[in-house]
Amino acid sequence: MAVDPDAVDAAFFDELRRHYSEAEIVELGAFIGFNLGYHTFFGTLKFYPLFSPDGRLVSQVESEKLYGAAPASLKSEAAE
Amino acid sequence: MSYIAPLPPDAITDPELRALIAEGEALGVPDDLFPRIVARAPEQAVPLMRALLMSHARGNVDHKLKEIMRILLARFANDKYFASLRSRKARAMGLTETRIDEGCFAYEDAGKGFSEAEKCALRYADLMFLDANQVDKAFYDEMKKYWSEAQIMELGAFIAFHYGMAMFMRSLGAQAVG
Repeated sequence: MAVDPDAVDAAFFDELRRHYSEAEIVELGAFIGFNLGYHTFFGTLKFYPLFSPDGRLVSQVESEKLYGAAPASLKSEAAE
Repeated sequence: MSYIAPLPPDAITDPELRALIAEGEALGVPDDLFPRIVARAPEQAVPLMRALLMSHARGNVDHKLKEIMRILLARFANDKYFASLRSRKARAMGLTETRIDEGCFAYEDAGKGFSEAEKCALRYADLMFLDANQVDKAFYDEMKKYWSEAQIMELGAFIAFHYGMAMFMRSLGAQAVG
């Protein structure tokens, strides 16, 4: 839906129906639409979680280092 | 009409949802297709309809401006359903099709008479999904010249929600009847 909405066609919905009820497909579609919109909006506001992964209350500057464009936590995992 | 068929109107018995559908039909946005589709997931339908109506028709930003922004977003999402709907309230307030097209395609033109505040809000809707990187600190500083922080949050949430629902309805191949 986000990257190539034209690929979400009748055949795609036929495939979805093999695995999900129509109620579940509506729930998923609305959920995806909602997140597509809000995560883009939130991204423009540049705010980050109040707590570090180990539960410490952190400043927005420190939080950006932990969760921003190059998250420290992901870098440390990649090094392992 | 849609990859997911809407429920028949008489299959919807929840009085709260029926009242919200009536409110949407009176406004013109949405007509009853959107809620009859989302009513297939009943627990989702009421909050989605409430958010859609509240963000569009209430708040502290001019409804006519929001109506132009909503259509701009639906056109950008290539969603024929929401792009074809029109707010009767905005029309009664004097919004015309010509003004909608000017707001969607030519709001930066000096001759079109949009205020700096309106241009900034329309740019917000335009850029959010075209190039969100341009919606940066400098952009928000410019917004704050014309809008309160409450109004900026109202506009941002409105843009996010209506674009998301437009993409959802596009994915369903939905088109308004009539």
